Amino acid sequence: MSFFDLVANIGSETVLFAVPLLLVALGGMFSERGGIINIALEGIMVVGALVGCIVMITLHEHMGVWSAANPELAMLISVGAAAISGLVYSLLLGFASIHLRADQTIGGTALNMLAPAAAIVVTWAVYGRGQTSINFGNVAWRRITLARVGGDPETAGIFLRSVFKSMYVTTPLAIILLVLAIILLYKTRFGLRLRACGEHPQAADSVGINVYKMRYAGVAISGFLAGIGGLAFTLAAGTAYQSTVAGYGFLALSVMIFGNWKPMNIAGAALFFALFKVMGNYAGVIPFLPSFEGIKFNAWIYNILPYVVTMFLLVLTSKRSRAPKAEGIPYDKSTR
Amino acid sequence: MKKIIALLVVLALIFALVACPAPEEPVVDPETDDPNIDVDVTPVPEIPDGVSGKVALVTDVGDIDDKSFNQGTWEGVVAFGEATGVEYKYFRPSEDADEARIETIRNAIDDGATAVVCPGFLFETAIYAVQGDYPDVNFLLIDGEPHTEDYATYFTAPNTHNILFKEEQAGYFAGWAAVMDGFTKLGFCGGMDVPAVVRYGFGYVQGANDAAKEKGNVDDIELKYWYSGVFWPTDDVKAKMASWYGSGTEVVFACGGGLLFSVIAAAEEAGAKVIGVDVDQSAESDLIITSAMKGLTYSTHMSLLALFENDWVWPADFAGQTANLGAADNAVGLPTAAGSWRLSTFSVADYEAIFAKVAAGEIAVSNSIDAPPTVDIAVKYE
Repeated sequence: MSFFDLVANIGSETVLFAVPLLLVALGGMFSERGGIINIALEGIMVVGALVGCIVMITLHEHMGVWSAANPELAMLISVGAAAISGLVYSLLLGFASIHLRADQTIGGTALNMLAPAAAIVVTWAVYGRGQTSINFGNVAWRRITLARVGGDPETAGIFLRSVFKSMYVTTPLAIILLVLAIILLYKTRFGLRLRACGEHPQAADSVGINVYKMRYAGVAISGFLAGIGGLAFTLAAGTAYQSTVAGYGFLALSVMIFGNWKPMNIAGAALFFALFKVMGNYAGVIPFLPSFEGIKFNAWIYNILPYVVTMFLLVLTSKRSRAPKAEGIPYDKSTR
Repeated sequence: MKKIIALLVVLALIFALVACPAPEEPVVDPETDDPNIDVDVTPVPEIPDGVSGKVALVTDVGDIDDKSFNQGTWEGVVAFGEATGVEYKYFRPSEDADEARIETIRNAIDDGATAVVCPGFLFETAIYAVQGDYPDVNFLLIDGEPHTEDYATYFTAPNTHNILFKEEQAGYFAGWAAVMDGFTKLGFCGGMDVPAVVRYGFGYVQGANDAAKEKGNVDDIELKYWYSGVFWPTDDVKAKMASWYGSGTEVVFACGGGLLFSVIAAAEEAGAKVIGVDVDQSAESDLIITSAMKGLTYSTHMSLLALFENDWVWPADFAGQTANLGAADNAVGLPTAAGSWRLSTFSVADYEAIFAKVAAGEIAVSNSIDAPPTVDIAVKYE
């Protein structure tokens, strides 16, 4: 494999795994900017991926002709289902932490525990007892191939080939959602109010902003994005869903903190993290990297790297890190 | 607005409640069970005069349609029941714990089981604990040998029979077939390095090595070898396999449950191939060229038959013994059905020739798991 092929492969794989991190971390950002710590991202991803996969397979099995003819639309419907289910599931967190003023960390943890168990029950209910995986390997239209957009895989340049090596509808969608997130957070009245509710809800309330409503909105957006992120991860990681997203919800939390609760920084952090994760797995085929022969478990040394580097960078940048001031504190009108 | 949100939340809560698992009924009778089960359960035929006994299967963490362990064993129990007219049932422990397994075994025995079939090494300690309590009940343990929790004492009581498989032979056939079919850049992606997985892997290395020697292209063969540490699909497995396929690997032996799905995804993007494991997995993807199988159904059926014919006492060569089943017993191999055979130049006849040699003992496949086999091909352990 030539050096350019290697770089191109790593590049396409990096973007592939940065997408779920980016989407979910953006979700976490909206929730926390509104003042609610959303530790339930992992659980929301599991639920979003579950519903997204079921819809995708249902479209394939019952409307196979239509979905093969309109693959992008069919994928967008699946993504939409994942987003809506994530939103609904996240409202549970909103209800507990905004309405009932429960501890947000505990509520989120409970949702994380509920999601995989509920996902298995649903898998059984839909696909029969004992089924633990939802196999969507036969859904050929889930991937956007070069041939589908009119290119010729034989003659296309290395750039096009690597762009379409692992392209799913979630990748362009993530870029669009990133732009929308920046606009929503910084350029709209809603964004300003949401941020106010995360910094000083009492002040926001005093000028007539409904803090509860804003916080619900923040949590709902986070559920929406995390649901899509769950499906994006499942599409990227394999050809079946097994009630798990391999800890990406928690990785996304650290990406969000690393990104300092700002959308562009989060995008950078997601790419950075995904790059190191992919590099860790590619280390074996990168010729000039030392292979640490003779050390036990040397394969894992490069896999540790993203975490070590992140911790190191967090130490260096933590002085400038600023979390929303009021996050984690249930809003109580009487303390105004 | 507030009311609408409240309504939504209430709906979501109701959904969550509905989705909560109903308490698992541990005792499931095949006749009355829900019709969703794929396994073909025909009603138990009327018991002929003189046929006594009852077979119970206790599942491990999966259910009887897991496309792997439990299903393979259950199908053996069903085949046995159909052939002899003996009553059969299956039981499911309420949770993945030794206590639950032991309790379920006791339930099965209270229900009148004369033989209890336990698929999976998870039952090793449970059987160790109960085999002495029920000298009149026969236990069949698949893929394990009873021992204490600290592995200090191994003891198989006379009323217990263990079945182990020579996974190394199944792996050997897979490696041999891949090289003989013209593949030169091979990969092995195992789950955790538990004995069965290691035997598959080392057998695969030996098979590829011997085939390369026979073919005379030892220098062309490269084999990458890695344990992922998981049995489910993850981004790490996918990225690792993408790196292998991207750097020229043509076929990867995916040896560990759900990680197969990550390997398939990487193979799909690279236009490469995959080898399946345990059962014929050709239905999971068109990219699966063959599967290294072990014959759970057949061995379960045959062992129960021996028990049955000896009037519900293990015959001497079964009682307290461990059967190590391999090619000679027709218990490991590759699927040869037309739809599953996706190798191009390596034919079924070629396979049968090498199978006969291994079965006859002409080719010895080492089952050592302590150190990687010494081979001439280049193997890169990652």
